[in-house]
Amino acid sequence: MRRENPEEAPGALDSTGKLGPAARRRGRAVEEGALGTPQRATRPLRIVMVGWEFPPNHTGGLGVHSYEITRELTRLGHRVLFLTPFAGPFTPVDGVTFRFPGEPVGDPAARYPPAYWSGASLDSPFENATDGYNAWVGGLRDLGPVDVVHVHDWFGTLGARELAERLGRPLVMTVHSTEYDRSLGHPWDHILAREQAGVDAALRVIAVSRHLRQQLIDRYHADPSKVRVIYNAVRPSERLEHIDPKKRVVLYVGRLAAMKGVDTFLKAAARVVPVVPDVLFVVAGEGPEYPRLLQLAARLEIGDRVMFLGHVSEEERELLLAGASVFVLPSVVEPFGIAALEAMAAGVPTIVSRTSGVAEISSSIFRVDFWDVEEFASRIAELLEYPTLRAAMGDQGRWEALKEGWPERARETVVIYLEAMAARGVPL
Amino acid sequence: MIERLRALYATGRVALLAETYYHSLAFLVPPPELAEEVAQHRAMLEREFGARPSVLRMTELAYSDDLARFAESQRFTGMLAEGWEGVLGGQPPTYRYCAASAPTVNLLLRHYRLSDDVGFRFSSREWSEHPLTADKYARWLAATPGEVVGLFMDFETFGEHHAARTGILEFLSALPLEVARHPHLEWATVEEAIAGHPRAPLSVPVTMSWADQNRDLGAWLGNDLQRSAFEAAKKVGVVARRSSDPAVLEDWRKLLTSDHFYYMYVSGHGADQGVHQYFSSYESPYDAYANYMNALTDLRRRALDRLGVPVLK
Repeated sequence: MRRENPEEAPGALDSTGKLGPAARRRGRAVEEGALGTPQRATRPLRIVMVGWEFPPNHTGGLGVHSYEITRELTRLGHRVLFLTPFAGPFTPVDGVTFRFPGEPVGDPAARYPPAYWSGASLDSPFENATDGYNAWVGGLRDLGPVDVVHVHDWFGTLGARELAERLGRPLVMTVHSTEYDRSLGHPWDHILAREQAGVDAALRVIAVSRHLRQQLIDRYHADPSKVRVIYNAVRPSERLEHIDPKKRVVLYVGRLAAMKGVDTFLKAAARVVPVVPDVLFVVAGEGPEYPRLLQLAARLEIGDRVMFLGHVSEEERELLLAGASVFVLPSVVEPFGIAALEAMAAGVPTIVSRTSGVAEISSSIFRVDFWDVEEFASRIAELLEYPTLRAAMGDQGRWEALKEGWPERARETVVIYLEAMAARGVPL
Repeated sequence: MIERLRALYATGRVALLAETYYHSLAFLVPPPELAEEVAQHRAMLEREFGARPSVLRMTELAYSDDLARFAESQRFTGMLAEGWEGVLGGQPPTYRYCAASAPTVNLLLRHYRLSDDVGFRFSSREWSEHPLTADKYARWLAATPGEVVGLFMDFETFGEHHAARTGILEFLSALPLEVARHPHLEWATVEEAIAGHPRAPLSVPVTMSWADQNRDLGAWLGNDLQRSAFEAAKKVGVVARRSSDPAVLEDWRKLLTSDHFYYMYVSGHGADQGVHQYFSSYESPYDAYANYMNALTDLRRRALDRLGVPVLK
């Protein structure tokens, strides 16, 4: 049995010997084709992006996404006006103009009150702050010609809706995560309401994974025909170094928030440490969970084998990845998981929780149920103990992560702008 | 299942072939592993069916001059091999051949095109010959020049690879009647087919199989994962033998089964892993490798325990 050359399996080959539908099982990221809408803009588009954070002061995937997608959109010849509540500084991008309210709403370093991420009581002026941002966005004048208004997540949906309506332009919304996920099932009503307002008002909604798209359809009753998937991507690092196979660092990079499941990382570490010598677990990132995680590490008696680095710069992160043996993203909820894709792009074998969006586009990662500490520990130990496995997964993962990048994602985004503009009757 | 196979064998129209008991890659392991596994399989056939097969089929239709020598040493009179152009040098796959390295071993070659028409392509709507009917197929057989057409397909072809609704079972039951319409065609068991004088000797210096375009062992030992796992298994084999524990040896032999290595197959960059995973029970080749190595590591520990060797961590 099993002599079959898979390329000759039924349905895989058509009569002319070309790969058939079975071989093309993994479809394009834009799932439902935009038949009838042009796939390319015939003139530069003027995009108002209602954003939130932007590098260098960013804490998560939203900032990375905003930077990369605006950069690629402008490379395609389009113009982006990026709105943010924060006063900068901003990593400059040719063709992108930034505007922020005269009064910045807060110090970027302290702009996420812990209560927001944990879903506990909201005793900071955060709600008022986003109200102010929305009012400012909604009242913006003198923007010049605009083709499309594009809002990210819930922060500015109310203002974006008002602006789009007043300008007679379509609203496009990208959802990077939902309040249900971020709050681990204890959502804030006022945040849900803003997400819902955005989903309802947008002519097209972009989700960063199929999993998230389904959630928007199920829980936000979004019309499936208007919800598209565009995955995140990574940029090839200019100074990628080869990994020293003797090093045994197991790495987590990301916010220390409840939804990230870092406690699972530590519990798995406690099982790996007794059986694998010379292993160091590194946690890079900051967030409200830090004190609790530190205590957990102490309680598990692995304090000397875990290193908490706090916030790391982009350069430091690249160095960490270059030296890591294994990358772990154990999130309870992870709509996409750019950090995992970055690790793969750096050639680091990667373990993610099964529900991560990134798991949808990669076949060379280990997927584990987020609650399965034992399985995380096994996978980590296997990757540390079997160098052949580490090398094979690292190579294939690197290739997979880099085969489609931000330029492809920007082109997919433009197609959605064109669809939304056509639906709203904006001439091209 | 065994009862039904016994009934089938009792009709006298069926041949049973010898192979390795564990469907293994034992032919790549130092002796006497291969001889022992083939002997174990022969003993089983004798015990369960009262059969004494004279023809050997190696795992995944592996064949080489060396394997023919082995077959001769075990007193087999024939072997199966792939009827591949790469070794036939322009001769048809429908002649009788003997092994160049062991002239007492006659060869029955698999006609892979006609076999795969049923085995792979039968239910493919994209195939220009779809649907394949029994009378059409019988006409193809009748029009094939030569002495013997070796048709070999998996048992799973009938009802699993091709579900019953594709008509594969009706095809199978209609075929004998359709073949009977062609007076120059008749059915033969493997022993009958290889009897008689071979036309020519066939030399196959490098091991050939029935997989992939290259007909080599690449599907099992083509990448680093597979080779590393197999090398590790060979090393564990040394201690498993020395442990003199039958349970340890048996488990090690199970780990030589070719399928384990097939699951670790990684497609090249650009090809879709999904298609290659068609036959695997694992989520990915990496899962397959990790799982295999864990099992092997445990077995090594058991073997060393029997030998009283402390395991250094």
